[in-house]
Amino acid sequence: MVARVVTGLAAGSAYAIVAVGVVLIFKCSKVLSVAQGEIGAFGFFLGLRWADRGIPGVGWHISRFGTLVVAVVVGALIGLVLERFVIRPLVSRPPLDALIATLGIALFLALLEKEMFGTATQFAPSPVGQWKVEVLGATLTSSRVVAIFAVVVVAVAAWLFFSRTKFGLAVLGTTGDPTVARLLGVPVNRVYRFTWVVAGALSGLAAALLGSAFGGITPFDMTRLALSALAGAVIGGLDSIGGAIAGSLAIGVVEAVVGGAFDTAGTPAVAVLVLVVATLLLRPRGLFGTEGAA
Amino acid sequence: MSTAPLLRVEGLSSGYGPLRVLFGVDLDVGAGEIVALMGSNGAGKTTTLRTITGQVRPTDGRVVFDGVDVTAAPAEALARLGVALVPEGRGMLRDLTVEQNLELGAYVVRDKRAVRDAFERTYALFPILQERRTQLAGRLSGGQQQLLALARALMSSPRLLLVDEASLGLSPVMTETAFDVLREINRSAGATVLLIEQNVCALDLADRAFVLERGRVVDTAEGEAVRSMQGRLRRTYLGVAEGGEAP
Amino acid sequence: MRPSRALAVAAVAAAFVGSLLLGDVKLSILVGVVAVAIAALGLDLLVARAGELSLAHAALLGIGAFTTINAGDRGWPWPLAIGAGIAVTAAAATIAGLPSLRIRGLQVAITTLAFQVFAEAFLFSRDDVTAAGRTLDRPAMLEGDVQLFLFSVACLALVLLVRRRVGVTKSGRAFGAVRDVEARAVCFGIVPGSTKLLAYALSGAIVGLAGGVLAMKAGSISAKDPFLLLESLQLVAIVVVGGAGSAAGIVTAAVLVKALPQFYSTIPIVDLRADRVVPIVSAALLVLAIVAEPQGIGALYRAIGRVADRVLRPGGARAAPEPRPRFVDLAAATGHAGALRDVPRDLRLQMPVRALLETTEVRVQYGGIIAIENVSIEVRRGEIVGLIGANGAGKSTLFHAVSGLAPATGSIRYRGVELVGAPPSRRSALGVARTFQDMGLVRADTVRENVLLAQTWLAPTPAGVSILGLGTSVNEERELRRRADLALELFGLAHLADERLGDLPYGTMRTVEIASAVAAGPDLLLLDEATAGLGPDESHALGDRMLALRDVLGVTLVVIEHHVPVISRVCDYVYCLESGVQIAEGSPAHVIAQPQVVESFLGRTEAARGGVDR
Repeated sequence: MVARVVTGLAAGSAYAIVAVGVVLIFKCSKVLSVAQGEIGAFGFFLGLRWADRGIPGVGWHISRFGTLVVAVVVGALIGLVLERFVIRPLVSRPPLDALIATLGIALFLALLEKEMFGTATQFAPSPVGQWKVEVLGATLTSSRVVAIFAVVVVAVAAWLFFSRTKFGLAVLGTTGDPTVARLLGVPVNRVYRFTWVVAGALSGLAAALLGSAFGGITPFDMTRLALSALAGAVIGGLDSIGGAIAGSLAIGVVEAVVGGAFDTAGTPAVAVLVLVVATLLLRPRGLFGTEGAA
Repeated sequence: MSTAPLLRVEGLSSGYGPLRVLFGVDLDVGAGEIVALMGSNGAGKTTTLRTITGQVRPTDGRVVFDGVDVTAAPAEALARLGVALVPEGRGMLRDLTVEQNLELGAYVVRDKRAVRDAFERTYALFPILQERRTQLAGRLSGGQQQLLALARALMSSPRLLLVDEASLGLSPVMTETAFDVLREINRSAGATVLLIEQNVCALDLADRAFVLERGRVVDTAEGEAVRSMQGRLRRTYLGVAEGGEAP
Repeated sequence: MRPSRALAVAAVAAAFVGSLLLGDVKLSILVGVVAVAIAALGLDLLVARAGELSLAHAALLGIGAFTTINAGDRGWPWPLAIGAGIAVTAAAATIAGLPSLRIRGLQVAITTLAFQVFAEAFLFSRDDVTAAGRTLDRPAMLEGDVQLFLFSVACLALVLLVRRRVGVTKSGRAFGAVRDVEARAVCFGIVPGSTKLLAYALSGAIVGLAGGVLAMKAGSISAKDPFLLLESLQLVAIVVVGGAGSAAGIVTAAVLVKALPQFYSTIPIVDLRADRVVPIVSAALLVLAIVAEPQGIGALYRAIGRVADRVLRPGGARAAPEPRPRFVDLAAATGHAGALRDVPRDLRLQMPVRALLETTEVRVQYGGIIAIENVSIEVRRGEIVGLIGANGAGKSTLFHAVSGLAPATGSIRYRGVELVGAPPSRRSALGVARTFQDMGLVRADTVRENVLLAQTWLAPTPAGVSILGLGTSVNEERELRRRADLALELFGLAHLADERLGDLPYGTMRTVEIASAVAAGPDLLLLDEATAGLGPDESHALGDRMLALRDVLGVTLVVIEHHVPVISRVCDYVYCLESGVQIAEGSPAHVIAQPQVVESFLGRTEAARGGVDR
């Protein structure tokens, strides 16, 4: 049982990395981006292809660690482009429009991946080496361990960022009231850009770490991860970064425990769904969110 | 005395979608003055400020600040030019602390030392804010929030301070305090103030006054004449007919 | 037929015919395309009319298809099998829509996503649900591909008919009201909860039909692909690219997205695999459509239609009507006006009472904040009573209390009937109507539709029945229209009846709101800042109208006004509120002269500024 919890925490870490990105965007602009899974996946697939066949034109085969770098950088770039050309024009429209736009982006990227990389499982060697660790009866692969560390780093970095830096304060101000923030001279558009770039980068990181956890990845794995991350964010509170992390870890644990307890396929999904619907109906703001956020 | 006003608004018209609110508003504020823009509910006072600060796009007219045409300028630009707004309803960042609110007020100030000086000045003027600096802004009382909004606007040492209905929600005592602060910073720091008010007490403070009614300026006064505007205002607000608009 | 519709039919027919002649396509594939078009129309009903986004429609399609196969396999005759599919899918959609009773917007979209994932993970993996290994034989009637195709087109036509019925009956109007002004729809007699669920059920029924068509086509369904999340997203793409609300656009979009890849396996010139590229392009178009111009192909058709109209009828091109109400001499229209007051009333109300409306020590409290307290006013039959006060005095709150939108304690008696504690929908039936400070109407609908909307309480037949056009609902609808036309004439709005409300100038919109309220046949009309945003001439005209409403129509009025001259001219009695309490009452002249009132308006008193510094 403990082993399951540990495995669950490891899986939850990957969700948490994506969820932090989702929540960061939502906090600032009230846009729920369901494209965060695909953004990272695209970058990682690109990295895998460049590792496999070399960068077109240059011929250089990137290293395994390089796939992670590519995933993060491409994810960040996609986030940048999306914010500028898709999300910014939608800023004064109802949030459902932006949600549909991110759905469209997710759809677009998913289909593009299918087209470019095929639906077969891609062999994905771990970017961080091939070692394993035994913790409390559970065996964790290298990627999983790094994921856990990554979450800790992200949490600490977020805390430092928001409490110590001027730009972090700017982000907080934008979260509270973008109009007031603008009047105080806060570069609100830059804040939006920042949230999308960071969210994209985190997405890429999660994709790289998840992809190699099983040794292989298909284009739909990231969608499944994104859905779990979304569930974690909803449960934790869509405008709380700490909540996103807590919620995602919880989802990871629930999936692991329920999956082990019941044999029927699909029960972890059902358990998660029940949690999500229950949260939305009973406490829509999530465990750590603020009233009236969503 | 320099003749060009610090802020000049010419023929400003604006509104919200199909609802037209301003119909060619003209006013000006000279450097170092306190100017009051009076009017009853629905006259368009807040819309005027919103249009000046770039939150609402005007359909006609110009806004010129210190010789620079800022009609189409985004709100951020005005902060950098030295215009600060104390919004209607105070615009509190409720989930941030008093200190964080003040720090954001000084966002456009680059120099760290200047920011620290600003904090010192502010806490000297508003000791209650220093007491409560780690409290969440949303937890302060209405009057304290108003002081915080004022203090926040002053953190950047603005050249022009726009104040929207500061007295709303304040007791007479607190209103006096707020107005005293405005008088003080106008006197000592030479800050120019454009005060939007329904409350006629603002007339005690102002060097000049404009009266807005249904989106148009219907009356102005200067110097001593400002004090005697109260009587005329009563007629404007209550429509007690005296050759004014036909009821 | 409108030019835009003709265009759509022509385009789609051309695509079909063209493919048959040029391509190597089996008719049965087109049946699949039609099924998707039907499903998209079902989703569109929910999105455009009810304003709810569903990501579960592919799952619903699957539920419909599998139910039909299961039923058919058990020996049910095929029409019943399809009927079962429709019923079960409608029920499933209603269940998926239950959360919308408590949460809204984004959160509802998430719960539909949860439903979709649940169906995928749980339902569609079970053999007994997917009827794996079992086949449904095609009924003799639909043996050939041609018959099946015609059947699917017939289903499409049926769905279009249903959509049209929804549009011209109270259900469509109710959907719009719940979508745009939910909190106030109750004032018209609409019950938001059941309205929302009806929208889901109807949408589900349509998708269920699509599922049935698919079942007929294939006989058995082994691949789950058409019912997965990706397909749900594609349905959303079809609706958006086609143009929410535009059947022509959506059918075209469905054909483009689903049929094109089947017809042309490779796209000429570019030489790419069509079945892979078209979905990607449609996703890109979805994003583009949302960002740039969320009106889709439907808007394109309408634009072409307008051009065609001008070309074909150069002289008779319709000039835009003058967007202001025409002057109507109400005194000359007494006969007509009387007809509007002729509405069914509870017999209990026949007792003569001195005061039409009487509030006693009414208090409204939101959490820790007391909005109004100890308000006791009296409105006598045939009076025009004014309610004035500074910002935040509680005037609108009092209206909310009377109309049942705010929690009140104390007593509010209307013709002797206690309103406190009674559900808001009772007000219209009792004879109380109101307008709102920020316009409580549906801007996307026409003027006439809004006036019809306000009369919902006069048509008690359930919305579902009215869609089918059965029984009393037909007469009811006719009566509502007669009354609406009457009201429009009385307010000089008849020439604007078919104009979209949101396109009209602000002053005209406010007049429409008053006309709507009057059309509901009230005895007591509450007008909330009716002159707000009006120029001096329009204000004056409105004052005239208020007097006419009382003199000619016999309606009693309570008006909230900031503009004091209107009050002075029009009101018999005035109450002044400040910070939630009454500070003066009497004739207009008397009240305006009261020192507290003057101080309040000049902003000098503590109370006028919102109270003591807490």
